[in-house]
Amino acid sequence: MLAFLLRRVATALAMLLVVGTIIFSMLAIVPGDPAELLLSTGGGSASEEAIRNLRLEMGLDRPLLQQYLTFLGDSLRFDFGTSIVDGSSIAEAIALRLPRTLEIIAAGAVLALLLSIPAGTLAGLRAGGRFDGITSGLNALLTSIPGFVLGTLFIYVFAQVLGVLPAGGYVAFAEDPAQHLQMLILPAVTVALHLSTIIFRMTRASVLEMRGHDWVRTATAKGLSRGLVVRRHILRNALGPVITVVGLQLGILLGSTVLVEFVYNWPGLSGLLVTAVEQRDYPTVRAIILTVAAIFIGINLVIDILYSLLDPRIALQ
Amino acid sequence: MTEHFPTMTPTRRTVLLSLGAGLAAMALPRGGSAQAGDQVLRFGLSTFPPTIKPFDNTGGAANTVKLMLWRGLMGYDASARLQPELAESVDWTDPQTAVFKLRANAVFHNGKPVTAADVVYSLNEITKEGSTAYLKSDLSILTAVEAVDDKTVKISLSAPSAVLLDLLASYCCPIISAESTEDAPIGAGPFTMKGSEKGVYIEVERFPDFYMEGEPNVGGIRFIAYADENLRYAALEAGDVDLIEYLPWQQFDAVDASDTLEMKSTLGPYMFLLFNVTEGPFADPKVRQAVGYAIERQDVVDAAFAGRGTPLFGLPNPQGSPFDLADPAVEWSYDPEKAKALLAEAGYPNGFDCRLLATATYGMHQDTASVVQAYLAMIGINATLDLPDWGSRVTSGKEGRYDIAVHGTSGTYNDPDSLWPLLYSGNPSYLQSFGFKSERIDGLLEKGRTTTDQAEREAIYKDLAKAYFEEVPQVPLNWRIQAYAMRSNVTGFESLPGFLNGSSAYALDDTKLG
Repeated sequence: MLAFLLRRVATALAMLLVVGTIIFSMLAIVPGDPAELLLSTGGGSASEEAIRNLRLEMGLDRPLLQQYLTFLGDSLRFDFGTSIVDGSSIAEAIALRLPRTLEIIAAGAVLALLLSIPAGTLAGLRAGGRFDGITSGLNALLTSIPGFVLGTLFIYVFAQVLGVLPAGGYVAFAEDPAQHLQMLILPAVTVALHLSTIIFRMTRASVLEMRGHDWVRTATAKGLSRGLVVRRHILRNALGPVITVVGLQLGILLGSTVLVEFVYNWPGLSGLLVTAVEQRDYPTVRAIILTVAAIFIGINLVIDILYSLLDPRIALQ
Repeated sequence: MTEHFPTMTPTRRTVLLSLGAGLAAMALPRGGSAQAGDQVLRFGLSTFPPTIKPFDNTGGAANTVKLMLWRGLMGYDASARLQPELAESVDWTDPQTAVFKLRANAVFHNGKPVTAADVVYSLNEITKEGSTAYLKSDLSILTAVEAVDDKTVKISLSAPSAVLLDLLASYCCPIISAESTEDAPIGAGPFTMKGSEKGVYIEVERFPDFYMEGEPNVGGIRFIAYADENLRYAALEAGDVDLIEYLPWQQFDAVDASDTLEMKSTLGPYMFLLFNVTEGPFADPKVRQAVGYAIERQDVVDAAFAGRGTPLFGLPNPQGSPFDLADPAVEWSYDPEKAKALLAEAGYPNGFDCRLLATATYGMHQDTASVVQAYLAMIGINATLDLPDWGSRVTSGKEGRYDIAVHGTSGTYNDPDSLWPLLYSGNPSYLQSFGFKSERIDGLLEKGRTTTDQAEREAIYKDLAKAYFEEVPQVPLNWRIQAYAMRSNVTGFESLPGFLNGSSAYALDDTKLG
C-alpha cells in the first residue's frame, strides 16, 4: 500500500514538472514583449530606451535557461514570486481569486443539482410523457445556447430592462453581504443552467435504465410505496454514474468559467489568467496554470487512493 | 485592500438560507444616497490600469487615475485651455528660460507644501539615466532645473520650445514630493488613494487641502473596471455606475434616445495604415500613394465605427489645433482609377499579394482591416489578413513582420507637434511604418518644435502636410468620435476635444453628482 502511494505521489509530481516545463516553453515561444506591451497599453508608444530599462527591471534580460531553472527552484519551494507587471504578490492574488471562482462553481453546482436531479428523475420515470417532452426539449435548447449568450441575455433582461439586479461586478461578502449575493445570482444561475443540462440527461437516462430492472418490479410487488421504491431502489442505484459525471464536470468548470466571469465582470481566477496572458505576465500565467493543474492532479490522486481502498485489486496492479 | 471571505461549504441549510437571502436581496433597494457633495462618483473604466506610476504611460485608464492623485506645473481646464496647476504663473525671461512661481497654498497629501525642490526632484526623475518615463526624450531639452527660492523654479532649455507647457501639462509629468518612494509617490492632486483591488476597482477620496477652492465637487470616485464594452454600457444603464469612458459606437443611438443618459463626445483618435517600407512594393512611395486613393473612407467609418467618425484625407491635424492646415492639394480622395494608374506607374499593373496586419483583440481594428482588404482587392492588391492578439500584434509591428498594417491612436495635446512619436524617425516603434525614414519630415518636426512664432509654425506644418502626402509615412483613414456617457444627474463633466480627449479626467474636478 505504501509503495503504491509513493508511486502515485511521484507520478503526480512528475506530471507537475511536465506541465510546468510545457507552460514555460510555450510562453517563451509566444510572441510579445511584456515591457513594450505595458508601455503601449491602449495604443500609445514608448521610447526604445524606456522599454530597455523596463526589461531590465522585469529581469527579462537573463538567459532563458537561467530563468527556467529559477522558475523550477522557486516552484519547488512554493514561491510563486511577484508579477512582472506591477510587482504584486502572485500567491496573494491567487489566494484572493481562487475562492471566488470556487464560489460561483459551488453555487452553480448546488443550483444545478437542485434543479436537474428531481427534474431528471421525474422525466426518467415518466419517459415519453408530457413532462418529459417539455423538459427534454428545454434541455436541448439550453444545451445549444452558449453560456456567454445566456449571460448577455440575462444582463439585458434583469439589469437593463427590469433593473432588479446589477449588470455585473463584485463586492466582498464581508463588505456588503446583500450586494454580494445580488451579484452572485446571475453568474451562479448561468453556470447552473449549463451544468444542469448535463446532469439532467445523465439522471434521466440512468433512472430510465434502473426502473426496468427486476428488483424494482420485486420491490413494487412486495407492496412498497411508490416513493420508497423510487428513493431506495431506483435513485440510489441511478445516482452512481451521475455523481461521477458531476465530479468530472466540476473539474472542467474550474478552467471554463472564464466566459461567465468575463461576461459578469466577476473577478475570479480565470479573469486573472486572461489578463496575465494579455499582458505577457509570465510568472503569473505559470503560477495560475500550475495551481489549477495541481488541483486537478490532486483530485485524481485522491480518487485513485479512494478506489484502491475500495477495490484492493487496483493497488496490486 | 484585500479581503478574504470563507469559502462556502454547502450544507442543505446554508444553501437554502443563501438562496432565500439571494431572492430577498433582489428586492433590496439598490444604490444608496448620501449627502450632496460627499457622494462617491462611480466611474466605469475600460480596463484596469496595469500599473499606476507617475511618469510612465500605461494607458488611458491609468492616466485618468493618475490625474486624480497627482498634478503637474501645468494643466487644462474643462474647456481644454492650458492653465497653471501647481504653478501660479509662468514667465518667459527669454525663449529658452521659463520661470515658474508655485502656488502658495499647494500642499502634498502628506501635508507638506509643494516646493521648488520637489519640482527639481520630479523633473530629474523623468530625465535621469535608466528612467522609463514617457517624456524622457521629449524633456531632454531641459538643460537645467533650478530652485531659485522655495516657491520659484527656473527651467532652462537647450533650444526654444513651442510645446514645453503642453509637455508639463501631461499626465506623465506630475510633480511629486521629494520624499516619495518608488512604491509610494506623494502627490498634490484633488484626491488621495483610499483603496484598490487589482483588476477590480480603485477608490479615491477627496483631498480636503486641494489648492483649487471648492474643488473637487464629489467626495470620492470609485473606478470600476469593465473590460467588456457592452457590459460597461449595461452597468451604466442599470445604474451600477454613473459615468463610463469609451461608450461603444453601437450604443450612441441608444444614449441619444434615452431620457436618463447623456454623452459628451469629440473627434479624438484617428485610424491609419502603416507600411513595411524595407522590401516589396510598399518601399515605393507611389504604391503607398495608390493605397491612399484606393479606399472609400466613409465605408470604414460606417462599418467599423457605426458611422461615428469622419473621413481623414491628409495630415491628422487634431481638433482644437491652433492651425488650419486643410488643403485639398495635399490630401487624398477616393479615386480608384488614379490608384490603379499609380500602381501601373510603379510597375504593378496587375497588383500583387501582401499581408495585412491588424488585431482581433480590438473589433474596430479588425473591422477596419476588413474594409481596407476589400478596397485593396479592387485595385488588384490581394491582402491576406493577419489578426493575432494585441501582444503579438505589437511585436509583429515592431519587427516589421507585415506589409501593411492597421492602427489607431491619438496624440497627447492639440498641436501638430503631437504627431512627433508617430512620424519622427529618431524613435521608431510599432506606431511607425517599419523602416520609414525621411530627413525632410524629421527636419520639419524639429523646426516646428523649436520655433515659437505661431505664424512661422503654421507655414512649417503646411510644409509637413505636403511632405506627409508625398512621402506617405502613413495613409490616414478616419477620425473616431470618442464619447463618455453618464447618467443625467452627473453634471460639469466635459469630454476634452481632439488629442486632449485622454486628459478629460481634468474635468472631473468640476464634476457634480446631483
